[in-house]
Amino acid sequence: MPVSKVLLVDDEPHIRRIGELSLKGVGKWKVVLASSGHEALDAAARESPDVILLDVMMPGMDGQETLGELRAREVTAAIPIIFMTAKVQKHEVDRYRELGAAGVIPKPFDPMSLPGQILDILASYASTRA
Amino acid sequence: MKAAPLPGNEIERLAALSDAAILDTPPEPAFDDLTHLAASICGTPIALVSLIDRERQWFKARVGLDATETPREVAFCAHAILGQELFLVPDAYEDERFADNPLVTGAPNVRFYAGAPLATSDGHNLGTLCVIDHGPRKLDEAQRSALSALARQVAAQIDLRRANGRLVKLNGELVARAREAQAVIEQRKAIERLKDEFVSTVSHELRTPLTSIRGALGLLEGGVLGRLPDEAMELVQIARTNTDRLVRLINDILDLEKIEAGKLELSPKHVDARRLISSLVESLSPVAAEAKVELWADVRGEVELVVDEDRIAQVLTNLMSNALKFSPSEARVELGVEVTAAGRVRFDVRDRGPGIAEADLARLFNRFEQLDGEHRRKVGGTGLGLAISKAIVEQHGGTIGVTSKLGQGSTFWFEVPQCGAPREASPRFET
Repeated sequence: MPVSKVLLVDDEPHIRRIGELSLKGVGKWKVVLASSGHEALDAAARESPDVILLDVMMPGMDGQETLGELRAREVTAAIPIIFMTAKVQKHEVDRYRELGAAGVIPKPFDPMSLPGQILDILASYASTRA
Repeated sequence: MKAAPLPGNEIERLAALSDAAILDTPPEPAFDDLTHLAASICGTPIALVSLIDRERQWFKARVGLDATETPREVAFCAHAILGQELFLVPDAYEDERFADNPLVTGAPNVRFYAGAPLATSDGHNLGTLCVIDHGPRKLDEAQRSALSALARQVAAQIDLRRANGRLVKLNGELVARAREAQAVIEQRKAIERLKDEFVSTVSHELRTPLTSIRGALGLLEGGVLGRLPDEAMELVQIARTNTDRLVRLINDILDLEKIEAGKLELSPKHVDARRLISSLVESLSPVAAEAKVELWADVRGEVELVVDEDRIAQVLTNLMSNALKFSPSEARVELGVEVTAAGRVRFDVRDRGPGIAEADLARLFNRFEQLDGEHRRKVGGTGLGLAISKAIVEQHGGTIGVTSKLGQGSTFWFEVPQCGAPREASPRFET
């Protein structure tokens, strides 16, 4: 599945910046940033990204609620969502799967291999849905 | 009149009576029926189940008498409980112990008395089943025998009542203990939940800043912002390597916490050993190249097993990384995989490193155990890898060990059953 635009959602400005540099510099993708779940809903509807990288622990609407809202809206329902999070204990990862996430990228991530990881997850996700 | 002396076991006898919890209870058909039978068989107007309390006799069942109790000192039954046989007074007027007894000279005008002791199973005469008549008389053999038999039935009823009382009490204690145990379990669960939450939060709070640090260093090292001067690159690599080490340490501590809490969960699936080894060799080849060590793997035959692939890969990565770290340059690290005669899958990781003294072998799998301080600084482990590997292998029902001699290298090995994982679970989430 080709990727040209990624929405990165994280309340930590430094992590948004690192992610942006990685996705732009290594992936050569267009990057849209959001710092909260609410911003993510607007940005996803407006920009129609190919994939959403979503932090879990965010103040206000957290990543799991944001995923639910994105899925509930017709314009964003089909966009694959990858959780990028430091909360990756087995039961947490199992929960993300139940919610319908395409995959999980644990923090800290390697910015040089982040785009490759995203493509791998999307390929695997597409094959399970084919 | 002559009052009866106290029985030799009076204190225990009164305790047994109290234990029966029968005094001052309402009438019960079981006792009433036996008393009626006694009166009927013996042909007397009065029959009683009399229990000898500290200062009175109290009637649990009575036929032909209105009184519910009388003082102990005038009680015929207080005499009857002194022996084990039927106590007979054919004519109270002729018996000096009873001739002037107010129960004889006045109502209910006892002349004839026969009382069979109520002996409990532990040998206490709590009272009698007695029959009374207003004139002198005798009981024939059949009547005496029947009265004794009925008395045994009354005693059996009392025994049953005591046993039942003990059961009720025991049941109450058990229920109370079960409640206490449940409360302790709930408390432990609450503590476990708090601990899990704490570990999860600490892990998250450590990883968040490390994500920025690791990311910034990775981007600099990867040349995304242009090529760095050599010395700057060297410093960035030092920082990045140490950040990775810190991340490994956090992961290892989390693993160890799970192991100690018995919460290391396995996600078993079918694994082709050849594919697993080849992907491990590929991922470790940059490390091997940097150490100038050859990585050589030999999988004998088709080896399929059911294990948690990520966890077994973690063990192999740990053993192979150790082997690479401790190998001299130009040496070879060999990984062998085979199915043993016992149907287990054995992995051997051999190095040509400095080897380990026999005295140190036993300590190797302990937490935070690193044998060589100088080497540790050079190779940068956390000291937890072997302890975690051991726990993972054992969770698979396997064993792990090492053979080594100083100067001759080491072989770390582990064996797991081909179906080593305890349950088949859904495939691990793609990460």
